[in-house]
Amino acid sequence: MILKKQHLSRRTFLRGIGASVALPYLDIMRPTGAAAKALRENPPVRAAFFYIPNGVVQSAWHPTEMGHGFPLSPTLAPLEPVRDKITLFTKLDRVKVAGTDGHAQAGACWLSSAAPDELSPAGYPLKRTIDQIMAEEAGKQTAFRSLELSCNPYEDNRESVYFDNISWYGHGHVARSLRDPRAVFDRLFATNESVATGSTLDLILEDARSLNRRLGRRDQEKLDEYLDSVRAVEQQIERVRARQASIDALKLQPPVKPWQAMQRDEFIQVMGDLMILALQTDLTRVATLMTGPERWGSPLTVHGLFDKPVQHHGMTHAQGKENVRKELEQLDKFHVEQFARLVSKMDAIKEGEGSLLDSMMFTLGSGLSSGELHIYTDLPTVVAGSGGGRFATNRHVRSPEGTPIANLWLTMIRNMGVKLGEVGDSTGTLSVSA
Amino acid sequence: MKTVAAPTPGQVEILNSPTPKPPRSTTPWKRPLGGTSPELSLPTEVRFEQIRHPQRPSLIILLALTAFSVVRGNESIIDYHLVRGREAAPQAAGLYEGEDLPRSGTAREQGMGHFGPHWSGDAHLLWHGKVGDAFEARLSVPQSGRYRLTAQLTKAPDYGKFTISSEQFASEIETDLYAAKVRIAEPLLLTESSLPAGELVIKFRLRGHHDKAKPFRDAFYLLGIDCINLRSLDPAPVAKPSNPNKTTNPSQHAERLDWPTVQKTFSAHCYQCHGFEKLEGKLNLAERDSQESFLEDVEKARTIADAIRFGEMPPEDSKPLDAETRQSMADTIDTWIEETLQNERQLPVSIMRRMNRFEYNNSVRDLLGLKGDIFALPEKPIRAARPYFDPASGHYPASVRVSNRALGKNQIEQHLLTGVTPFAIDLQAEHGFSNQGELLSVSPILLESFLKLGQGIVFSPEFDDYCQPYDALFTLPKTVSISETNAVTRHARQILAPLMERAFRDNIEPATLERYVRHFQKEFERTSSYTHAMKHVVAGLLASPQFVYFSERKASDHEAPLTPYEVATRLSYFLWSSLPDDVLLARAHSGELLEPAILQAEISRLLESPRSQALSQSFARQWLRLDQLITAVPDFERFEAYYSRIGCEQWKFGLQTMLEPLLLFESIMVEDRSIMLLVDSNYAYRSDEMQSWYQDAEPFNGKANRNRFNTFVQTFRRQTLDTRREGSVLTTAATLTMTSSPLRTNPITRGSWVATVILNRPPPPPPDIVPEIEEDDAAIEARGLTLRDRLKQHQVNPNCVSCHQKIDPLGYALENYDAVGRWRETYRSGLPIDASGTLFGESSFNDIIGLKDALLKNPEWFMRAFCEHLLSYALGRELKVDDRPAVDRILRQVIADKGRFSTVVRQVATSYPFLHKTHQTSENSVLPIEEQTSEP
Repeated sequence: MILKKQHLSRRTFLRGIGASVALPYLDIMRPTGAAAKALRENPPVRAAFFYIPNGVVQSAWHPTEMGHGFPLSPTLAPLEPVRDKITLFTKLDRVKVAGTDGHAQAGACWLSSAAPDELSPAGYPLKRTIDQIMAEEAGKQTAFRSLELSCNPYEDNRESVYFDNISWYGHGHVARSLRDPRAVFDRLFATNESVATGSTLDLILEDARSLNRRLGRRDQEKLDEYLDSVRAVEQQIERVRARQASIDALKLQPPVKPWQAMQRDEFIQVMGDLMILALQTDLTRVATLMTGPERWGSPLTVHGLFDKPVQHHGMTHAQGKENVRKELEQLDKFHVEQFARLVSKMDAIKEGEGSLLDSMMFTLGSGLSSGELHIYTDLPTVVAGSGGGRFATNRHVRSPEGTPIANLWLTMIRNMGVKLGEVGDSTGTLSVSA
Repeated sequence: MKTVAAPTPGQVEILNSPTPKPPRSTTPWKRPLGGTSPELSLPTEVRFEQIRHPQRPSLIILLALTAFSVVRGNESIIDYHLVRGREAAPQAAGLYEGEDLPRSGTAREQGMGHFGPHWSGDAHLLWHGKVGDAFEARLSVPQSGRYRLTAQLTKAPDYGKFTISSEQFASEIETDLYAAKVRIAEPLLLTESSLPAGELVIKFRLRGHHDKAKPFRDAFYLLGIDCINLRSLDPAPVAKPSNPNKTTNPSQHAERLDWPTVQKTFSAHCYQCHGFEKLEGKLNLAERDSQESFLEDVEKARTIADAIRFGEMPPEDSKPLDAETRQSMADTIDTWIEETLQNERQLPVSIMRRMNRFEYNNSVRDLLGLKGDIFALPEKPIRAARPYFDPASGHYPASVRVSNRALGKNQIEQHLLTGVTPFAIDLQAEHGFSNQGELLSVSPILLESFLKLGQGIVFSPEFDDYCQPYDALFTLPKTVSISETNAVTRHARQILAPLMERAFRDNIEPATLERYVRHFQKEFERTSSYTHAMKHVVAGLLASPQFVYFSERKASDHEAPLTPYEVATRLSYFLWSSLPDDVLLARAHSGELLEPAILQAEISRLLESPRSQALSQSFARQWLRLDQLITAVPDFERFEAYYSRIGCEQWKFGLQTMLEPLLLFESIMVEDRSIMLLVDSNYAYRSDEMQSWYQDAEPFNGKANRNRFNTFVQTFRRQTLDTRREGSVLTTAATLTMTSSPLRTNPITRGSWVATVILNRPPPPPPDIVPEIEEDDAAIEARGLTLRDRLKQHQVNPNCVSCHQKIDPLGYALENYDAVGRWRETYRSGLPIDASGTLFGESSFNDIIGLKDALLKNPEWFMRAFCEHLLSYALGRELKVDDRPAVDRILRQVIADKGRFSTVVRQVATSYPFLHKTHQTSENSVLPIEEQTSEP
């Protein structure tokens, strides 16, 4: 395991599929101090997104029954230990816009769900994604506005940025996901490393201003991205400094193993642990985690599941064949299992009356329901946690035909305290309480 | 010191071989010239190679040739191998390997490879003598002129002190070659002076020895000459800008039609699917009842013209349109579009973009004079064991020692400067490059990286040694007292002004300079350390928006020419992926860069710099999409030869094949050959293992999978090919493997690659229904079907057929290559291979040779595609319909010059879009040139 606490005699190693899901060290690292105490007594609502690319096998995904205590389907079976804390949503849709690749759009536009008539210049229905909208509000308090992670294991740069990222500040302005657990660790916890002094920030701000005067209109818009980023970093430095002592007190050790050497489950769990740590320590309240990128037709080794490297994308199109579909179901289940393990870890972290999980809206989903035909309707969606008591859990909620997934997004945004009337192509909110 | 390897005599012999290997195939390289003897039809190139001689490098480059046609049957195909050499007169220059110098006395060759990788050619000339003896090195100066003469010598414990002199130049150099360990000496400047044509004799006189030097065989001291470099200092003559023919369009041969005729053709051939009844592709031609309404949407009109020109429409199953009508229809529509756009055309906006990671590394490296990269860059596929890339020589070595980073795991985690971690690699656009503004934004996390990098680089423990002008930049000269704050500040200002001009690539406004000086003062007051304060300022500089963005001053008019600094910046990032050097900046500063002759000269100079290797490391790699090879996993059992085993680990031997197309590209670039060699070449660069890979039915004598491969550095040799099945970028193991699946070929992927890379006609995004074919061709062949039969079975949906008709034949043409790119006559089950097809509905071919012929017969197809790719790369944006006239103009010159590489670069770098910018409003974003929909 990569996150070691130096003074702990007890270490928890997570290796291989089926390892214990308990992760007691997260609890030991409970932050101290007045701020932490306040946080524990009155936990904020947090949101995180767990993305599975290329859709899931529909027949094995959908439970037959609705409502409270529904029997889990084969693919959802790994959620059994945490079923009291999850909600399954079905019949939530997105509208596909012709002109861009079915996979690129599925991933890049999943969280913005812009209306089909709101296309970016590149042809994507892509606007600011909801995690970034949430971060505008939730990030006012935290050191980092948001966290974007990806367990993309490919080194071949085969696909464009649209396949590899689900979080966007706006069109043409991607919130690039970090792929290297070590880099994530350094960003969050190795904060003694000085980023810059205030005077350097002043200097480059002045440079930006004098540059701005001689630019054309579109270039000025581009420079705004830079200016926004300077402001964000400025805030971040300030807030990290305020948190310095409590972060140092955790005495965290960085991941030792390079991600290239990690098996799939290990990679996802390590990234997940880092995400949970950031949420638990209130360094951020919004995070996205991609288990892998969309399409990317490169073979991949999934230890313990298949003898040979598999092409996830290729399998989704070949699921008409029974043997392929069976294998694909195993892969889907594997991803759900990774999610379930992270959910359990969150639930093991005590906070106030309940657990970290209770403050969460931790959403598992994909931009495609079935990858076989690039279907954008009835998207697989599981929300773990109750978002601070807002979501009634252990339920299967089926929406009426034609309900945009943006309605769920709007519900979540509002629950984070963002006062927006609509988001993307939303037509209203979902009824999520009992 | 690392120098460039010239061909060793042994390698020349390979090319000289009087009896070429008997051809293995029925389609040898020899192109029969009607009725002449076979001997005469030998590729002319081989005969040119024969007169090459390392001692007389001037001959190599005096071969500016005019290509000629070879008549075969009734068709005329140009032999593009005969295009060679730069437009400008060659510079007399050359590198003389010590071991190749005429020997006298005790002189002999000594292999130096085991002392390290620093000796050019892995060897030097060794001589010994007694004090007072001398060795004379004899070179020849091709023509009178000014030269810089440098020597690369060896140092060792038993080497002497020498006086180096010559009657041909005045200076006398003294040097002591003693060193405690064997190593290469710093390059020694012998003279910079005028030299007469003829023999140049350089005398190395042993004049004594270092106190600690031990005599050799008790009485002698040694001399080691690695190489001597003679480089002309005379400016290369400026190429005469050729007169672009302003009136003819390369595609305009056919008669121009009028609207009623065009409409009649539409009505007869198109309305059936694109009319009021049916609305295929959301296109209703019938409602466009006048020329004006037809041209309302020029993008659409362009798409229609291209679809007709390239035979994509009408589709195969409808009433055919003869080739002549197609040509005249397409040309007529083109002319209309030209006329329509004449007055309203606007140059598309190049949005300000930031540097990508590759450019950032290069810029920092060159700004601060670093010895190497700031972090390991996996985006650089070629790693040289020693520098070999010397375009100024006009000569690409016959063998290069290189490796590929993907081979060595330890190369992934390599840190060059402690604490300096790279930001994320920038990904390629879907049909473009990793330098498109649309995809390059500055997020908080990236800004954080820029800030950390700035600090991390200058304060890393290795930095001071790594930065070559360290003393000049970061230490206070003794003449300035640290206690005199004003004097210190004055000095800082003097250092900062030129540094900032280079970093920001622009005139520095006084206010900006003073801001940085004040920033320096503050830090200096705080720390009382000049070095610290200066480093602090430089760290800030590296995160400044004026450094990381390529900003251009707003165009107040509709369109405006770039400023000289902006031209300098575009030029150096196009050719070097780095910032302008001092010479280019000086020419921008004086404004003379805008003079066409000076611009031409600078283009030549930049192309001849080793920094232009960025074109192969970045442009060529991305254009060919070679990264895809990294994750290719041919099935281990079936394609054992792809792997080698070291210890218990499996290594992909096949990864080294990635270098073959790149080295070909480099040789074309350095030797200024025709880009048509990229689709058909009679030579290739391969390692010995790769040669066996292609040539032997059972590669490595069946000994694959053993511990016999050097996975790190390989020697790639220029191999003359005796079959046209191999070579080019089309038919290499790398491109054929990365477009295959583990257990079989993938004709659709291959076809799509050819359409995108070779023809720049990328197919629309795949539809939602993607029927998957069996992953193992054995399963298909077991049913008596070939892969082609099986794919055909799936194409029952007419919506699929129209696209696959275009894509698939390009892939079938490559079916004679298995999933790791080796030739096969039949499928494994013995089923025959059908590699025939049609290109653009008009050129039919039977096999890959036929496809290559079709491309050679219609060179404008590939030339246009290549020019578009390169222009898009140079501009950092997608091309739009408004760029078409510029592409046409570039293409005219490129066709006229038979695809000479430097002409392509020159034309792109002097094209209208490259030298102009446009007024920005929030509305002027235009649709991309290949606007396509995925909906059938």
